[in-house]
Amino acid sequence: MSRLDLKLLRDLRALKSQALAVALVMACGLAMMIMARSLILSLETARDTYYRECRFAQVFANLKRAPNAVTDQLAAIPGVGAVETSIAISVTLDLPDMEAPAMGQINSLPEQGELQLNRLHLRRGRLIRGPDARGEVLVSEAFAEAHHLQPGDSLAAVLNGRKQSFRIAGTVLAPQYVFEAMPGVALPDHRSFGVIWMPYRELANALNLYGAFNQVDLTLAPGASESGVISAINNLLALYGIRTAYGRQNHASDSRLRDELRTLQVLAIGFPVVFLSVAAFMVGAVMNRQITLQRDQIAILKAFGFSNGRIGRHYLKFALVIVVLGTATGTAGGIVLGHRLVEMYHLFFRFPDLPFLLDTRAVLLAGAASAAAALIGVWGSVRTAMRLAPAQAMRPEPPASFRPSPLERTALGPHLPATLRICLRNLSRRPWRAVFTCLALALATGILIVPNTLSDGISYVLNFQWDILQRNTVIVALAEPAAPRALHDLGNLPGVTLAEPYRSSQVEFTSGSHRRLINVIGFRPESTLNRLLDAQGHLLTLPPHGLVVSAKLAEVLGVRPGEKVLLHFREGTCQEVAVPIALLSEDFAGVVAYLDLDELNRLIGEGDRISGAHLVVSGGQWREFLRTLKDLPAARGVVIKDAMRDSFRDTTAQTIGLLRTIYLIFATVVAFSIVYNSARIALSERQRELATLRVLGFTRREVAGILVGELALLTVAALPLGLLLGTGFAAGLIYNLTTEYIRLPLIITASNLAYAVLVVALASLVSGAFSCRHLNRLDLVGALKAAE
Amino acid sequence: MTDLPLQPSEQPAREPVFQVRGLAKVYGAGEAAVTALAGVDLDFQPGELIVLLGASGSGKSTLLNILGGLDLPTEGSVRYQGWDLGGAGEADLTRYRRDCVGFVFQFYNLIPSLTARENVALITELASAPMPPEEALGHVGLAARLDHFPAQLSGGEQQRVAIARAIAKRPQVLLCDEPTGALDVRTGITVLEAIGRLNRELGTLTVIITHNATIAAMADRVFTLSDGRITGRQTNARRAPVADLAW
Ligand SMILES: Nc1ncnc2c1ncn2[C@@H]1O[C@H](COP(=O)(O)OP(=O)(O)OP(=O)(O)O)[C@@H](O)[C@H]1O
Ligand SMILES: [Mg+2]
Repeated sequence: MSRLDLKLLRDLRALKSQALAVALVMACGLAMMIMARSLILSLETARDTYYRECRFAQVFANLKRAPNAVTDQLAAIPGVGAVETSIAISVTLDLPDMEAPAMGQINSLPEQGELQLNRLHLRRGRLIRGPDARGEVLVSEAFAEAHHLQPGDSLAAVLNGRKQSFRIAGTVLAPQYVFEAMPGVALPDHRSFGVIWMPYRELANALNLYGAFNQVDLTLAPGASESGVISAINNLLALYGIRTAYGRQNHASDSRLRDELRTLQVLAIGFPVVFLSVAAFMVGAVMNRQITLQRDQIAILKAFGFSNGRIGRHYLKFALVIVVLGTATGTAGGIVLGHRLVEMYHLFFRFPDLPFLLDTRAVLLAGAASAAAALIGVWGSVRTAMRLAPAQAMRPEPPASFRPSPLERTALGPHLPATLRICLRNLSRRPWRAVFTCLALALATGILIVPNTLSDGISYVLNFQWDILQRNTVIVALAEPAAPRALHDLGNLPGVTLAEPYRSSQVEFTSGSHRRLINVIGFRPESTLNRLLDAQGHLLTLPPHGLVVSAKLAEVLGVRPGEKVLLHFREGTCQEVAVPIALLSEDFAGVVAYLDLDELNRLIGEGDRISGAHLVVSGGQWREFLRTLKDLPAARGVVIKDAMRDSFRDTTAQTIGLLRTIYLIFATVVAFSIVYNSARIALSERQRELATLRVLGFTRREVAGILVGELALLTVAALPLGLLLGTGFAAGLIYNLTTEYIRLPLIITASNLAYAVLVVALASLVSGAFSCRHLNRLDLVGALKAAE
Repeated sequence: MTDLPLQPSEQPAREPVFQVRGLAKVYGAGEAAVTALAGVDLDFQPGELIVLLGASGSGKSTLLNILGGLDLPTEGSVRYQGWDLGGAGEADLTRYRRDCVGFVFQFYNLIPSLTARENVALITELASAPMPPEEALGHVGLAARLDHFPAQLSGGEQQRVAIARAIAKRPQVLLCDEPTGALDVRTGITVLEAIGRLNRELGTLTVIITHNATIAAMADRVFTLSDGRITGRQTNARRAPVADLAW
């Protein structure tokens, strides 16, 4: 080790806490980057392996019914690889550990052989073999876990109006249910929704569908065009009442996974950029101070013949040590965070195996990025050191010159106390330093706002959707559209005080080049349980003709009120008809269109039918109501508002809780580090001044006030800026998260702002107090001796 | 704390401002111990102008620092108007420095971010009955440079600002450690003139450390230190005007 390296070690020891502060800020950004990139790697690897091994299909279609012979025709479509046809049906399930019925999706297992596509991955128990197996089912693992179901346990399902009991042979995973949630619902609730597989013959017989199928999964031949195949399928199956055909792009589970990967990508770039910028500034400030203090040492080294290059390298090594420390801590942090997130993903995503894979390229990249940031930060000061002429460097730096700060030129000027003037002038003497410190504190404030904005937005949406728009307690969907008499039956269930009918139908909307499959909901204009609001929050009345569509749908289709869209119905007479858009409504979930119930029935052409009802059930007879509902033959689906809301709250609380913890740590690290470092640098620069003040009779507290007063001013300036910045971050994130299916409003509550302000103010305060400890070591007598 | 005498003593009759008895100061311990002061006895009276002479390392600054409440004696007693400085705590000493002592340093130690006027005002804001900063600066002939920053002032001007800062709060004691050490002769004279005049006009006990024996002629009494002891005491019958000092 050279003597110069020994000096490096001693310098580092003297500046260890400052170096650590910089390294920690660096580590925050790097941890996020390494975490996000490793999660991307982990998710993509797990997904690709899973999809390959279980042969996840590429195109999916649902229809009313088609004879099995059509399967060959499907396989004959040019560009189609493998085809799997099956039966899929929604049912209500009766579980012993739940008062309310749950919803299930039953898929058939092939009559001959095994599944070609979307193969099952067995987790526990055994698969069901042979066409003649009876009374046995396979259950999705998440659902089984949520209900503590084991192989050998049984569950009951209402199939075609008959309640039947099945024994669970095994629990499984399937690639089309990586994200397993009720169709159209944003978050999974494994207690109220599960997937079940049973042998084709038994299911088909129960539904009177033997010899037919209503679901198609297929893969594409290499090089085939997805859209070409989809339109061929649409043509072929038009006869058989096709409801929808789509690619992976629109697959609920796959697109959800892609959304997550997209979010991770944003995190992997955004966080390191922001945090490394702060770290670059900090390391630059530390180094600048160090070099100023060591001017004479540099001069002596140069006088003794050390080259500029060696001196430059000496100081760069100092920065390098910080980089290594930051990268190491960041990697460790990234691994820890990554493991926590993989655990959390278990709430949303199910893979046969989702090991955390550390993206080693990301670690290398992190090292390179932080080295680059440090280099940018220290470059200016190291260059100064290298350029310093020995003779010039021997002399102390010329005294600092000051000017009155801008604030003092205002009318307020003459009334400012001298101590405040000191703070203001020190700030305006180094405006860039002040700006960066302020920005870093604003950043800390800003990131704290983000998680709460998300949770506030979500709870706003939940309340809006379920208190203001939908005021039912329960929605019951019927297995088949039924005559209005069914409403009478639902209304007569125990405890039901109000029942309002609805009809829903999948309809293809065409407007110009835009084409969308939309769930059109019809209800009565006088409905009180189903309400529509416009953007201003005024109640809308459903017009007798014409559509009310969510503003988002109008945007997607590129239409405005008064214009017409072409509707292609998939039921009844399957007619194509142009219908005008009457009004726009405001909502936050999905894209829906509303029609008057009678108008919808008229357009479908099947006569007066309802798909289900919105019910209000009185609390007193709730249990009895649920008991009856479990055995209700006509029901195919049940949504219990409060249960769903609770589960939503639970899931978001867990996710956002983790997010909030991470952001809290990061914000505290940034605020604490930046204040600590700034205070230490100020202390070093102004040691003599502060000691003089002590000699002149200022108390320790007063001197501390002058030292950290500057930082207090910056913090106060940073807080409102941070609130703005945070609102911007939140708006950006919400913009990124917004899809057609989920839209979050930007809700900034006072308590959210107060929380951010409080955390940063507290972190700054503690850090300021902590750095003031060094004032105790101030050498009063030394200040009277020679100038610095 | 309560017995810290903030007001000048009631009896003008010769109660000393400082009464030092058997003062010793040892830095470090054991092998490395350095005796900076050993057995110093002295009394400084109100309004006196005292000059401390002595070779480098003789203990002048140590004595002044102890009188100024910056350092504590190892042995002996130091009384300020009867109040024991040696037994005072940190907070008491801070209050003592703030209320009773004015300091002038060799390197001025002005606050670079404050103008001349503000440097003075900074201290008067703390004091109970200060003179206006403008008046204090007028005393040292700087009425025209009120709004200049230290970087815009010459060394002598900076030192005079430092003197104005020290006297503006009307301290009982003015302690000057080599106030002309960093100045040339002519500038040094203007600074000493200011100190001498203020001592006469305000009646502040003034203690000046210097290496320059000629300066001693301006004093009422001169003490010479060597190796931490007082080896010479001289009383001048007449104080020589600073301008007459043959430098
Ligand atoms: N903090 C300290 N620790 C150890 N020794 C000290 C300390 N301060 C002063 N000394 C020693 O005490 C002795 C007296 O120092 P002092 O500063 O009082 O001398 P001085 O007369 O003011 O000298 P000069 O004329 O050079 O300023 C010296 O030997 C010095 O080395
Ligand atoms: Mg000295």
